[in-house]
Amino acid sequence: MSGAIVGGGARVWAVALNTFREAVRNRVLYVLAMFAVGLMAFSLVLGELSMHEEVRVIKDLGLAGISFVGVVIALFLGVNLLSKELDRKTVYFVIPKPLQRWEFLLGKYLGQVFTLTILVGLMALILAAFVTAEGGTHGVVMVRAEVLVVVELALLTAVAMLFSSFSSPYLSAMLTAALWVIGRNRGELMAFATGKKLEGTPLGTVLEMVADMVPDFHALYISGAQLGGQVVSVHESFVSWGYVAEASAYGMLYAAVCLVVAMLLFSRRDLT
Amino acid sequence: MAVLHVSDLRKTFTRGLLRRRTEALRGITLAVERGEIFGFLGPNGAGKTTTIKILMGLIFASSGRAELLGAPAGDRRVKARVGYLPENPYFYDYLSARELLDMVGRLHGLDRRTRRARAGALIERVGLGHAADRPLRSFSKGMLQRAGLAQALIGEPELVVLDEPMSGLDPVGRKEVRDLVHELRERGTTVFFCTHILADATAVCDRVGILVKGRLRDVGSLSELLEPRLRSVEIVWQAPSDDAVATLQGFPGQHREAAEGHVLSVDDQAEADRFVRALLDAGGRLLQLLAHRQSLEALFVSEAQRDDGDGEGDA
Repeated sequence: MSGAIVGGGARVWAVALNTFREAVRNRVLYVLAMFAVGLMAFSLVLGELSMHEEVRVIKDLGLAGISFVGVVIALFLGVNLLSKELDRKTVYFVIPKPLQRWEFLLGKYLGQVFTLTILVGLMALILAAFVTAEGGTHGVVMVRAEVLVVVELALLTAVAMLFSSFSSPYLSAMLTAALWVIGRNRGELMAFATGKKLEGTPLGTVLEMVADMVPDFHALYISGAQLGGQVVSVHESFVSWGYVAEASAYGMLYAAVCLVVAMLLFSRRDLT
Repeated sequence: MAVLHVSDLRKTFTRGLLRRRTEALRGITLAVERGEIFGFLGPNGAGKTTTIKILMGLIFASSGRAELLGAPAGDRRVKARVGYLPENPYFYDYLSARELLDMVGRLHGLDRRTRRARAGALIERVGLGHAADRPLRSFSKGMLQRAGLAQALIGEPELVVLDEPMSGLDPVGRKEVRDLVHELRERGTTVFFCTHILADATAVCDRVGILVKGRLRDVGSLSELLEPRLRSVEIVWQAPSDDAVATLQGFPGQHREAAEGHVLSVDDQAEADRFVRALLDAGGRLLQLLAHRQSLEALFVSEAQRDDGDGEGDA
């Protein structure tokens, strides 16, 4: 039993390592990461224009840059994780190897999450350098926000993988992006659905159901947003590690459900 | 026990909005025994690759059974004992040949030392020693085919399934693959060899199966399938004088002139013997004597052209 788990782990690791290799040899990734660094550098200029708020501007823009670039990369790589294998016919070579289809999918997913974690980590280090250069401290609060960004990207990758397990990359990208936009604005959607105009109406009920079902990306990017009636930001009163753990558990559970559905769909798919 | 066994295997594809159905396999039954080299032949679109994809767990049969090494096709433990070279192999082109073999070795659960040793030996064996650390995207088609053969063998499989292994190879490469296939047989490995290059099948296969329009038309050894009966004898000859030429051209058969000399084609061995005796008695020279028997190509073409009222495969 334990041998089978170790063997399965080794196979998943082999696929994950290969996915990581593919990502780090992709030049587009570096261009996007440079964009994030460019945004941080630009925040220095904007900081100079503010009244003694240089560090605040760098932190806000830096965090937004990490999140935005991470989302673009997660979307770009996520929808291509499976479709590229099918388009390039590499799947004909790898599936006949001694691994289960679900192990292949899990390996692809973990490889991408590993890539995104490394990428966010590197961008966070650069951001920390910029903050320190301006006389501020990066601090544990920023680390909490960055951990939540990684969880958001892991969830987004799982959603992208789910869609790409049964649809084309373009459709997958559109559906994933739409879900991300709705998920980021879930609070507003819920407020609209339960507001005076729609409460109790069929449309309100449908919108409420949609808001309940979509992944809550808003819970994973909360700096500057309202939480429980209070504004949360990395500058004043940010969330605790307990919140980070709870939100991460939610994100991971949602991602796991997406992955299991993707695995079920992929396990019976004819790879023609 | 058969190493590869398919029984009444059928596959119907449904495509498009109109759910148009295409029968790719129409109930094939086949067994390949341990240690033999089996040639799976058929024209394009016959269903060879569909059969292999079912065996490799890439697609699922509509009905029937497909077993490898006594277990259902697609079983992970069985896949560990099978090596597979896909048709027109597509690999991760950002990897080098060495990295590719290392990845496949990991999937086979090999430890690092074994992976390195086997990868090194196989890279040399397929003649890629000079390009082992170059990315696969810089490889020619023939080099990719060689890398594909190496990755199929890294798990030291009991059964090797090769889908068009000679595709893209030059004559030297083709001979090397033939030698490799013979080497595998000497080690006791079973080889399931899919091709439409009949010369390759004739050179390496113990038995062949001919698949046409999703049906297996013939299975057997080449000696069983091909008629041993003589089809014709072609004699190329020269005579010392015009009189002798005129006399010899009076023999029954089809006479014609060719650059190398006079040519006679006869249907019967005895007539050929009589002509040769007369030629030598007349002081002539026998330049060439060629006996034509049924070739695999002739059998293949006749099977491919045989109409069994199946239509074009659409159901």
